[in-house]
Amino acid sequence: MYRYDTIDKEMLADRAAEFREQVARRLSGELTEDQFKPLRLMNGLYLQLHAYMLRVAIPYGSLNPTQMRKLAWIARTYDRGYGHFTTRTNLQFHWIKLKDAPDILDHLASVDMHAIQTSGNCIRNVTADPYAGATAEEVDDPRVWAEAIRQWSTFHPEFSFLPRKFKIAITAAPKDRTAARVHDIGLVLKRARDGSLGFEVIVGGGMGRTPHIGPTIREFLPVNRLMSYLEAILRVYNRHGRRDNIYKARIKILVAALGVEEFTRQVEAEWAKIGDGADLPDTELARIRGAFARTGFKSLPAQSEALEAAKAADPAFARFVRNNLKPHKKPGYGIVEISLKAIGETPGDATADQMDVVADLAERYGQDDIRVTHEQNLVLPHVKLDDVPAVWAALREAGLATPNINLVSDIIACPGLDYCALANARAIPVAQHIAEKFRDESRAELVGELKVKISGCINACGHHHIGHIGILGVDKKGEEFYQLTLGGSGAEDASLGTILGPALPYDRVADAVDTLVDVYLRERVDGERFLDTFRRTGVAPFKEAVYADAH
Amino acid sequence: MKALTANRLSDGEVVFWNAGRWVERFADAELFSDDAALMEAEAQGKSQTTVVVDVYPIDLVEAEGIWAPLSYRERIRALGPTNHLHHGKQAEGGPVIEALQSASGAARSTGRVNLIKRK
Repeated sequence: MYRYDTIDKEMLADRAAEFREQVARRLSGELTEDQFKPLRLMNGLYLQLHAYMLRVAIPYGSLNPTQMRKLAWIARTYDRGYGHFTTRTNLQFHWIKLKDAPDILDHLASVDMHAIQTSGNCIRNVTADPYAGATAEEVDDPRVWAEAIRQWSTFHPEFSFLPRKFKIAITAAPKDRTAARVHDIGLVLKRARDGSLGFEVIVGGGMGRTPHIGPTIREFLPVNRLMSYLEAILRVYNRHGRRDNIYKARIKILVAALGVEEFTRQVEAEWAKIGDGADLPDTELARIRGAFARTGFKSLPAQSEALEAAKAADPAFARFVRNNLKPHKKPGYGIVEISLKAIGETPGDATADQMDVVADLAERYGQDDIRVTHEQNLVLPHVKLDDVPAVWAALREAGLATPNINLVSDIIACPGLDYCALANARAIPVAQHIAEKFRDESRAELVGELKVKISGCINACGHHHIGHIGILGVDKKGEEFYQLTLGGSGAEDASLGTILGPALPYDRVADAVDTLVDVYLRERVDGERFLDTFRRTGVAPFKEAVYADAH
Repeated sequence: MKALTANRLSDGEVVFWNAGRWVERFADAELFSDDAALMEAEAQGKSQTTVVVDVYPIDLVEAEGIWAPLSYRERIRALGPTNHLHHGKQAEGGPVIEALQSASGAARSTGRVNLIKRK
């Protein structure tokens, strides 16, 4: 993975020292809360219901074992022994004290970590395909470009005070694991017939209170022109984005208001003015690319006898392989997904001990590489198939071998009203109740791919708009109610969910999901996923079943 | 009936007003039936800018003979997260905690609404 150079390290040290001074000035009263709040937010520190929350950046979801161990150590030392991996592939600590925050930033900086670009109206942490560098589907390694964007965007003076926050996703595979079409900018790397690489540029997607699937404004942007084109998009947004109304300030609103054609015209005009002087020199790109070159692969047979024998001997292991082991581009290797969705646990949470186990496994079996997915799971992207039984055994020992990737119990949930100051309703217990309904692993597998996504408020951190089943917590006179949507998708077949009907009370949500699944099992044909069946039948049979009692 | 709440600046801990100082347990909070006294406490609390942030009054409702925060949000603040029952103030247990856990009632605290408007 990319190693921070002297400039990066000095920046982190300076930033931590600066924040230490700012915290001291706040505690002494020299700074008011109104003056201090934007400063702490720029360092990822929020005030939530019970304590401060520190959001640590995990750039493009990539971690090494030393960094993971440091997160575990911080969780033990300054928090309550756990951390929460988020849909932005960051990690949140929920029990942080303001007075400890400067020390924590120092500890993070010691392993090239920080909380920069995790808050504020800047370009946020870039989302990249968690299978980058490992999947045979990709046409290039998207981390190269994600790292280039990180270097370009960090403390970018022109883009540090945008009308609103700005999120970029990048993938190089046709199977989209980044939700690119619901980001402010989605970049999809493609190879042209002549062999050249380019980006499909999608702009103006987003969730929140006005969800949009982003339109493509350029089908093929030559890769070496990426930076100037991003600059042109950001410049048009910075110029015309609605700073007067926070609810209309995201780029999706601008793209919709101007129309795709006019927005594109302005971007192209700006791009022509900028020229190629803003693009990354090939030498710098080669330097970054070198950091991701992997040489540790051995020549192995495509099939592993050890793996096949273990599968035959243990049905539980065979189930794990079916659901959590994904194909790798190198023969004899696999991508292991680690579910942070154990039944009854909090989606995305990992204890400090679990973080240490993952770090150890990455070191011993995984070429020191760990990824975080936007679906709140972890990935060991490079594991020899021969080693998968040992990895599984260690994960199982740590409570991390739940075989439910992409299944109904692999639920995205934001922290919700249990922690978040913005939430209207809880998300975590709703996810737990639904997962309990599908504790039977055979039934969950029978149901197949089903993405349930839960948000505790309209800001949609839990991605409910793009859930096959989306669940939005709302506040009805102080009581928790939940609005269900069906048919959303954040993948390459992106779509926004359709509202099922009137919001349901807290204690009826899990049963309603169970009912929806029953309808799907009754209606599905020819191996359809839940999403496919819904798209074929429409909402009617589902609505009828869930609201049957009301008739 | 109302109480006055805030978060402590140094660590974010949820605190409640009682006769000029901030206490951690809801059980120890001062209860206000008089609006004038509440307003005076609120003004005093807000002046303690190096001690607390986000000072606002919360509405209370009677639950099993004990006054409890009316809104679900405020009960979670007074107790802790419902996914980790050993975290937050609820870990201590006791009759007031139990009363809060079984309380129901459904309305936003008027003080919180004012705070949101202010922001």
